[in-house]
Amino acid sequence: MDLLFYALTIQIFSIIAIAILQDNRKASIAAHLLLITGLILGFAVSFSTLVFSNLSSQSFSAFGIPNELFRFDALGLFFLCIVQLVAIPTTIYSYSYLKHYLDEGKSIRSNLVFYAILLISTQMVVIANHAVLFLVCWEMMSTSAYLGMVFEKEKREVQKGAFYYLVISHVVVFLLYIFFFLLHHQTNSWLFSDFHISPESGNLFIALYILSLIAFGMKAGFMPFHFWLPRAHPIAPTVFSAFLSGIIIKSGIYGILRTFQFLNPTPEWLGWLVLVVSMISAIFGVWYALAQHDIKKLLAYHSVENIGIIGIGIGIGFIGSAYQSIPIQMLGFGGALLHTLNHAIFKSLLFIGSGVIYKNLGTRNIELMGGIVHRGKYFVMLFLIGSIAISGIPPFNGFISEFIIYNGFFTTAKELKNYYPLLMLISAVGLAFVGGLAVACFTKINSIMFLGSERKEVKHFHVSIYEYLSLGIFALLCVVIGFYPQPFIGIVNKVLNHGFVPGNSASELLKINWFFISLIFMTVLSGVLLFYFWKSIVQKKYGSRVSAAWGCGYGGLTPRMQYTASSYADELNEISQTVLVYHKKMKVPEGVFPIEGAFESHSDDLVDSKILLPIFRNISSLICRINFLSYTDIRYYIAFILIIISIYSLIAFLWN
Amino acid sequence: MQNVLSILFCLSLFYLSVTSRVKAYVTILRFQGLLLTVLLVFPFIHHFSIFALILPATLFIVKVIVIPRYINKIILDLDIKRVIEPTIQPFTFLLLVIFSMVVVFVASNILSKSADIETIPFASGFTAIVVGIFVIIFRKKLIIHVAGFLVLENGIFLFGTAVASELPMMIELGTLLDIFVVVFLMGIAINKISSTLAGFDVTVLGRLKD
Repeated sequence: MDLLFYALTIQIFSIIAIAILQDNRKASIAAHLLLITGLILGFAVSFSTLVFSNLSSQSFSAFGIPNELFRFDALGLFFLCIVQLVAIPTTIYSYSYLKHYLDEGKSIRSNLVFYAILLISTQMVVIANHAVLFLVCWEMMSTSAYLGMVFEKEKREVQKGAFYYLVISHVVVFLLYIFFFLLHHQTNSWLFSDFHISPESGNLFIALYILSLIAFGMKAGFMPFHFWLPRAHPIAPTVFSAFLSGIIIKSGIYGILRTFQFLNPTPEWLGWLVLVVSMISAIFGVWYALAQHDIKKLLAYHSVENIGIIGIGIGIGFIGSAYQSIPIQMLGFGGALLHTLNHAIFKSLLFIGSGVIYKNLGTRNIELMGGIVHRGKYFVMLFLIGSIAISGIPPFNGFISEFIIYNGFFTTAKELKNYYPLLMLISAVGLAFVGGLAVACFTKINSIMFLGSERKEVKHFHVSIYEYLSLGIFALLCVVIGFYPQPFIGIVNKVLNHGFVPGNSASELLKINWFFISLIFMTVLSGVLLFYFWKSIVQKKYGSRVSAAWGCGYGGLTPRMQYTASSYADELNEISQTVLVYHKKMKVPEGVFPIEGAFESHSDDLVDSKILLPIFRNISSLICRINFLSYTDIRYYIAFILIIISIYSLIAFLWN
Repeated sequence: MQNVLSILFCLSLFYLSVTSRVKAYVTILRFQGLLLTVLLVFPFIHHFSIFALILPATLFIVKVIVIPRYINKIILDLDIKRVIEPTIQPFTFLLLVIFSMVVVFVASNILSKSADIETIPFASGFTAIVVGIFVIIFRKKLIIHVAGFLVLENGIFLFGTAVASELPMMIELGTLLDIFVVVFLMGIAINKISSTLAGFDVTVLGRLKD
């Protein structure tokens, strides 16, 4: 494990390299090389430890760090692997992304430093064993993410969106302080390995759970607290939004799973609470996504959806824990863990893809894109793999984890008789509905962005080798996990067996016939390939005819006449107009020779527009009332401080 | 001996409250720095060690030599007027100082019965903190604010020696560094804004906001 600390040190050297090297380009190359070296080394160490060692005790002696400060248990190592695995391609992309800014003559030093700090602190968060160390790393992670987010700080929307994120991270840290202080008070220790509270402690147990679910749930982006995601993701530089969506929101999931390790078994109602909240997040996350025009905002709402799916897995696990049923816990938590990995992979792929599109087209509006497939065939193919994976369609990785969660529903129904079969059936239908909407959403963006003809003229469409490399790694992972899930299932099974679900080797996860699933996927794939060959042979023989997309036989088409994203999603959006706050403004062309017509559609967030903004408006009007106390002169403030201190000391003096 | 030095320290505070020259403030800062140095060296006369001299030596260099010189330099460079601009009468200020000093001394005398503290250094330190804040509140000049801040810090130092068992040396060194940095930042800030704002009053600082 010493090697892991050396790997972290190599990453820290990248910051020093940025500080020392004068030339921007050299600094960028050196820093990225150091970061990637450190990450690959770190990933090799953590992955091999997770797979090959027995995980009972991982000691280290690097730099004289006290042994209890860090812990390398199965859960921590699993998340460490995810962080490092996703960070490697993201860092490769980051080089290409920043090169673009370097060519424009913008300084990228600060951005690079914050990215390095973000990477290092995120790796530290998941292996920290001391609560204070955890909080420090957590704070570093949140702050560096914020600082990286405000890269284009002169834009108004960037300031606004990043501010949302900053406020949320502060609230989260505040709640976490209370959470850990309460835990410390109860167990008289600061170490994660010593935290354990049983449900007998009554109200405290519930209070701790609620605190943890709110705090980590805010970070993860569960439904009532999701509002920062669609605001912060679009404005962040692509590297940061990919990392934010891929990794940082997962730190919330990590926290919830850790809380489960501290506080178990859970009461049944808590499982239901998590399940219902997650179900709402999943359904409305994807529904909101469907109504968006901004590609990054859309992907941000998809993060809400996927966090919801992970949460469904956790909810099932909680229910299993309440009934002490090992198979249910295995399937619930297993699905959640695997989906965490999968989502980190395909969401990073999609965000980086959206970054590439933004760089080339200069817009994030889906309605202005089109015809990209004619410019970058392979790029579109990679993006499509990510889209299929996120929709949970076989044969890619999204399907595997959702399949485990479906299995969790059915096993719960089977194990716990009573009213459970009906409820689980409803949940399964809900998840299927989510999958259906996700398919609708991704067919929308793939068809509108890539197919058809160009709505806005594209000067040149260039995808650099680094971008291909990073997208390729992600896509490869999607394919590998999809076609050959056994080793990954094995890892998840190992994580669950070590300090999560009381030891059981004959796991429910391994009972699913994964070989059979791979075989079916292979068959389907070979069928598709065969069809493709047949098609190309036939095409060669008879030739093919190219005409305008969505033409339906009509000749005089212009790009403006194409089917749009809004019209595609309109039917589905109208069903839930009130929840989506979906407005349409239409001016129908009239008469035989219509002069003008206009259409505009717009969707607000319900939580945002109906709950959050009114609350903040009230608070600010309240604060305006005590505005008379504000002076421009600092001396008044010092006088106020003195008065308050005197009052406090007087009270403290009289107390004894 | 400690008590004598502390009382001398208190007397310097009285002088501070009635003087109206900027120069006098700098002299008082030097004097107080010297007092604190002696106060720190004093316990080590019997069992001498080089290591124990680090703190007093640093204190001497920073408080008696560097900071007063720097403030003098700012005054000369920027041609600041040599009189302070009080917002209340010196006599009223003196009364205020005496009143707070009485309160602090009585309070610490009561405290000393229950806690393990040395009354006179403790109370003098506390008074200096209060007086430092008063200086900041009732004076307009920015450079005097720096002086007030330094008096406050001296108070904290004296306070620290009175409860020596509670405050380790590292913390004292830390605060020293803090003050050093703050004074320099303040100096740089004054230098920078001198081109846009003619006076060095805090009353006009409000105009600096965006």
